[in-house]
Amino acid sequence: MTELNKEQNIVDSVVKKFDFMNDKIKTKRIRRISAEVVFNNFRQVFDYMVKELNFNAMCMITGLDEGENFGLIYHITGSHGVVLNLKTDIPRNNPVLKTISDIFPGAILYERELVDMFGIKVEGLPEGNRYPLFDDWPKDQYPLRKDWTPDMLDKKGGN
Amino acid sequence: MGTIKIPIGPQHPALKEPASFLISLDGERIKGFGMRLGYNHRGIEKAAEARTYIQDIYLIERVCGICSHSHSTAFVQAVEEIAGIEIPKRAKYIRTIMGELERVHSHLLWLGVAAHEVGFDTLLMYTWRDREVVMDLLAAISGNRVNYGMNTFGGVRRDISKEQQADILKAVDILEERTKYYAGIATKETTLIKRLSGVGYISKEDVLKLGTVGPTGRASGMSRDTRKDDPYAAYGDLDFNVITDTHCDVYGRAVVRVFELFETYKMLRQLIKNIPDGEIAVKFPRKVQAGEATSRYEAPRGEDVHYVKANGTDKPERVKLRAPTLANLPSVEKMLEDNNLADVPITIAAIDPCFSCTDRSIKVNNATTGRSETLSWGVLRAQSIEWYKREHGIDFTELNKKYQIRGN
Amino acid sequence: MKMQGNMIGKIVTWARIKSPWVIHFNTGACNACDIEIVASLTPIFDLERFGVLLKGTPRHADVLLCSGPVTRQIEKRLKRIYEQMPAPKFVVAIGTCACSGGVFNGCYSIKGGIDSTIPVAAYIPGCPARPEAIIDGVVKLLTNFEEGERKKRRAAK
Repeated sequence: MTELNKEQNIVDSVVKKFDFMNDKIKTKRIRRISAEVVFNNFRQVFDYMVKELNFNAMCMITGLDEGENFGLIYHITGSHGVVLNLKTDIPRNNPVLKTISDIFPGAILYERELVDMFGIKVEGLPEGNRYPLFDDWPKDQYPLRKDWTPDMLDKKGGN
Repeated sequence: MGTIKIPIGPQHPALKEPASFLISLDGERIKGFGMRLGYNHRGIEKAAEARTYIQDIYLIERVCGICSHSHSTAFVQAVEEIAGIEIPKRAKYIRTIMGELERVHSHLLWLGVAAHEVGFDTLLMYTWRDREVVMDLLAAISGNRVNYGMNTFGGVRRDISKEQQADILKAVDILEERTKYYAGIATKETTLIKRLSGVGYISKEDVLKLGTVGPTGRASGMSRDTRKDDPYAAYGDLDFNVITDTHCDVYGRAVVRVFELFETYKMLRQLIKNIPDGEIAVKFPRKVQAGEATSRYEAPRGEDVHYVKANGTDKPERVKLRAPTLANLPSVEKMLEDNNLADVPITIAAIDPCFSCTDRSIKVNNATTGRSETLSWGVLRAQSIEWYKREHGIDFTELNKKYQIRGN
Repeated sequence: MKMQGNMIGKIVTWARIKSPWVIHFNTGACNACDIEIVASLTPIFDLERFGVLLKGTPRHADVLLCSGPVTRQIEKRLKRIYEQMPAPKFVVAIGTCACSGGVFNGCYSIKGGIDSTIPVAAYIPGCPARPEAIIDGVVKLLTNFEEGERKKRRAAK
C-alpha cells in the first residue's frame, strides 16, 4: 500500500557503495531500515550514511549482551524521517570501541552509558563524570550484562 | 589564581529533581560547565528484563511523571510492532488525545516554572490554576491525574465517552482563551521580553550538531518534530504545523511552547470530530515472538526513543530508552558559555529538564576571586533575580502586582 | 473551591498550631509526586494562605516532604539534609515509592522507601499522591504532634 521508495533508494545507495553490505541492509517497514556490519567496516559505513545519506541526527546507542559478543545498535535519523538501525558487534573478551563524538558530540552521554553498564571501553571519550551509576559503585560490576544480578551488589558490600 | 566553586547540590526547590552541576566562573562569566547526573538512576532497563511485558507498561510509565503517557505509548508501540499487531484506529485516536492533553499540562507547567525562575510568580499561579482544567479531564478519563494507565498491548484500556469528548472540547475553548492571554503577556510585557531575550543562546548549527530535540531545538530554527517526520498513532491524519522560531534563546523557547499549545488545541478538535467508531483494543499474545523494533514519540520535551528486543518469551530481552532531556543536556553547556551566573536557573529550566527521565546541584569555581562557594538552587535563583534588577533594571514586582489574582 | 468544609476546618486548626515551614526533597522520584506537592501550593489547593511556606534550606524547615524511592546515589545527601533540620522535625513520605520503594522495588540502585534511611512520621500513599491526600496527611501529622505535646505538658505538671 505505501510506497517504500525513499527507503529503497537508501538501501540501494549503501549496497552500491559497499558491496559487502549486500543482504546486510533491509527495509523493515516504512521509515525503518536495519543494517549489520562487522566492526572493522563500521566507521566507513556509518560515515557514509551520516554524510552522504543525510542521517545527520543521532537518536541513541543501544548496547546488548549477546553472550560471546556485545551488540551495539546505532540508531540514526534525519529530516527524511527514516530511522536507520546500524548494528555491529565487539567481542566480550575485548570490548573496545572508538568514540563517534567527533561527528556527534551529543553521543558522549550514550557512550558513557555503555562504559558504566556493560564495561565497554570507548577510546577517545573525553574526561568527565561517569554516567549513570553512582560514585562508589563497585568496580567490575556491569548491571546490564546478563550474568549480573542485583544481589551481587550487596555481596560486594556496595552501600 | 584560584576559582570559586559554587556547588548547587542535588536539592533544587525549583527544579524538583536532583542533579549536580559544576560551573567555572571568570569574574561573572561562565567559562566551564560540568554535569553530574545519575541521582535519579533507578535501574529501570535492567528491571524491565525481569518483568513481563504487562508489568513493564506500569514500570515504564513511571520513568517520568510528566510525560508518562509518552513513555508508555513509545513502549507499547515498539512491542506491537514486533508482534506484528495493528491496533484499532479508535485506539490510535485515544492515544493521541491523551498525548496531546499531556502536552497541554506539561507546557502550562513549564510556563509556570519558567516564570517562577525569573521572579514572575503570579504567572506561575495562573498557569498552574489553568493546568487544573486539563488535570481534571485526565483524571475523569483515566482515573488518575498522572500515570494514566491508558495503554495496553493492542490498544487502550478505557474509552472516551461522548460526554467526555464534549468536556474536552469545552476545556479546549477555555484553555485557548487563557493561552491567548499568555501569548499576549509574552509579546506585550517588555520586562519579560527583556529578561528572556538573548539568554541561553544556541545557534541552529549547534542545535543540529548536538542533537537537541523538542521545543528547545525548534526555538533555534530546527524543524525536527517526530509527529511530522515519523508519524505514529493518529498523527498521520492530522493537519497541524510544526512550530519553529528564530530567536534561538529562552524567549524563543517560551514562544514555541505557547504556539505549540494552539496547534494542540487545533489537533484536539480534529481528533474529537473525526474519532472513528470501533474497538478500543485487540487481542495480544502474552509471549511476544522474537524480533526488535525502534519506536519514537514526540514527548512535550522532545523526541523520546524506545528500542525493544523480544525473544519469544513473556519478558523482553532488552528495553532501551532515551528520553528527550538526555539529548538536550549537552546543549546547556553551549548555552551557558560566556553567560552570567545569573542566567543559570532560567537557562537550565528552559530546556524543560526532566531529570527523572534522564536520571540530576551546582558548584561554581571563580578564577578571578579565587574563592569556592556552595549555593543552593533557591539562593542562586534569588541572586539571579537581584542581579537582573541591579544590572538591567528588570524587576517583576510591578508585573506581579499588575496580574495579581484578586480574592479567591 | 475543591476542598470540602471539614478539610478547611482541619487546615484552620493546623494553621493555629503552627505555620509549618516545609522543605521538599526528591530522592529519585519520577516527578509526579513532586508536581502534586507544588500543585498543593497553587490556587486551587492553596496551602500558602494557611501559612505553609516552601523553604529552600533545611535549616529553616519543620517538615521534610520526601518523594521518591531512595536511590543509593542520593542516600548520603538525604541523611545530611535530615541532620541539618532543627528539632522538632518531621519527615513525610509522599507517594508509594517514598513509602516502600513502590514500582521500583527490586531495582538495583534503589535502597527502598524513605524509612530505609531516615525515620518517617507520616506515609502518604498514591501514585502519585493527590494534593488533597498530601494536605490531609500533613494535617494529621501536625495535629498528632500537637496532641503529643499537650500530653507531655500535662504529665510534666
